[in-house]
Amino acid sequence: MTFALTRFKLAAYARSHRLLQPLLVLFTMMLIFYSTVVPDGKQLASYADSAGLLIVVFAWAARGLLDTEPAAQRVVSTTAAGGPGREVRAGLLAALAVNAGLAAIAVALPLLHGFAVLPSSGDLARGVVLHLLGLSAGTALGALTSRPILSSPAASMLTLFGGYLGLLLLSLTPAAGFAVPIMPWMRAANAGTLDAVLLPVTAATLFWAAAGTLAYARLRRTRP
Amino acid sequence: MRLSDVSFRYSRRSPWILRDVGLSLRPGSVVEVTGRNGAGKSTLLRLLAGVVPPSRGSVAERPPVVGYAPEVFPVDQPFTVSAYLAHMAGVRRVSPASGTALAERLNATHLLDRPLGDLSKGSAQKIGLIQSLLAPPGLLILDEPFAGLDEQTRDELPVIIGEIAARGGAVVVSDHQNQLRDFPGAGRWLVADGTVATWDGERSRRAVIEVTMDAAEADELEQKLRADGHTTRRIS
Repeated sequence: MTFALTRFKLAAYARSHRLLQPLLVLFTMMLIFYSTVVPDGKQLASYADSAGLLIVVFAWAARGLLDTEPAAQRVVSTTAAGGPGREVRAGLLAALAVNAGLAAIAVALPLLHGFAVLPSSGDLARGVVLHLLGLSAGTALGALTSRPILSSPAASMLTLFGGYLGLLLLSLTPAAGFAVPIMPWMRAANAGTLDAVLLPVTAATLFWAAAGTLAYARLRRTRP
Repeated sequence: MRLSDVSFRYSRRSPWILRDVGLSLRPGSVVEVTGRNGAGKSTLLRLLAGVVPPSRGSVAERPPVVGYAPEVFPVDQPFTVSAYLAHMAGVRRVSPASGTALAERLNATHLLDRPLGDLSKGSAQKIGLIQSLLAPPGLLILDEPFAGLDEQTRDELPVIIGEIAARGGAVVVSDHQNQLRDFPGAGRWLVADGTVATWDGERSRRAVIEVTMDAAEADELEQKLRADGHTTRRIS
């Protein structure tokens, strides 16, 4: 039931053309990132920047997907799926699926055009991990700014972009331990010390993504 | 199904919409919910459907299959009617053919290829009704289902409600127009001032019988049965 509802949400999202907005921004960002060829040895740093900066795109895509269904349809979907938990899970799964597609483009595109030399398989794997972290944080941020939680589109967009900027700024300060460590992973990748921080960075990002997702699920209890 | 001391509000700072509501809904019962606008009818329906949990109290023994038709069916969706019903059938794990069969019964086959956005209010209500019936519901919740319906569907809906009740399903209908006033055994719930007052109907046990007979005499028998107060439906 959850997967069928996920398919329904993905079909509605694809047919609504809402995907075009984050997709256009993604390609614009890719164009900027890789307008000059990334020299050998800098592929991981490039992936780290891409994963950190694309969080806002992932959030936008997730918000767009979760906003696609009208409110009355969410209620219908909830009863059809057999409970609000399934409806919430189906929405999050659909958002993760879309963002996985966007992240795949972000990882694959520079392999075709952008990197002077293909990265090692280790750096490619690290790039994939960083994009997975980015999409998990972005999906949570997008869910928290979706229409059931913030009904005003203006407030929602302001919270999404403000929230992302806040995360970036916070990760620059000594309070970075209390936020998604975007800047720390970018700096470590640039300095060639990512492996030393990858585990705590992963743990912190997944913790905040899980906290955001749980807060979304909790808020949805009274916001069908 | 039972609601015990159920209270509901949307947040800690918002006012109570329902307070200490206790209700029971037996299998096979049909209930008409009335009350002025904003009294909390839709909230009560959402609590019954399990869309929102009670802020206090409990809801027990809700049937596993719940059908819900909203007051205004959301047409702002990028699907044709048949694609939408096929998706909803998939979510409910029933054959897409159930949607087609219901469309035939409610004279909606001509709508199947239309985009949802092109539907009139009455046609949209019909599709809302069809999706709620895709899987035989143990609890059917209809929020103002008669609004905008054509006469044929208006006549057919009480028959459908009767069939679900006869199979042991409970049906709750929010109805401004009081279309179920003559429905045999229907109970009444009045939502007002955060509480729900109840009147039980006669609760007569209902049954569906199928009669096979000479086609030439069918009209006469149907008229006779209707004159006696029975609800009939011609299958062929």
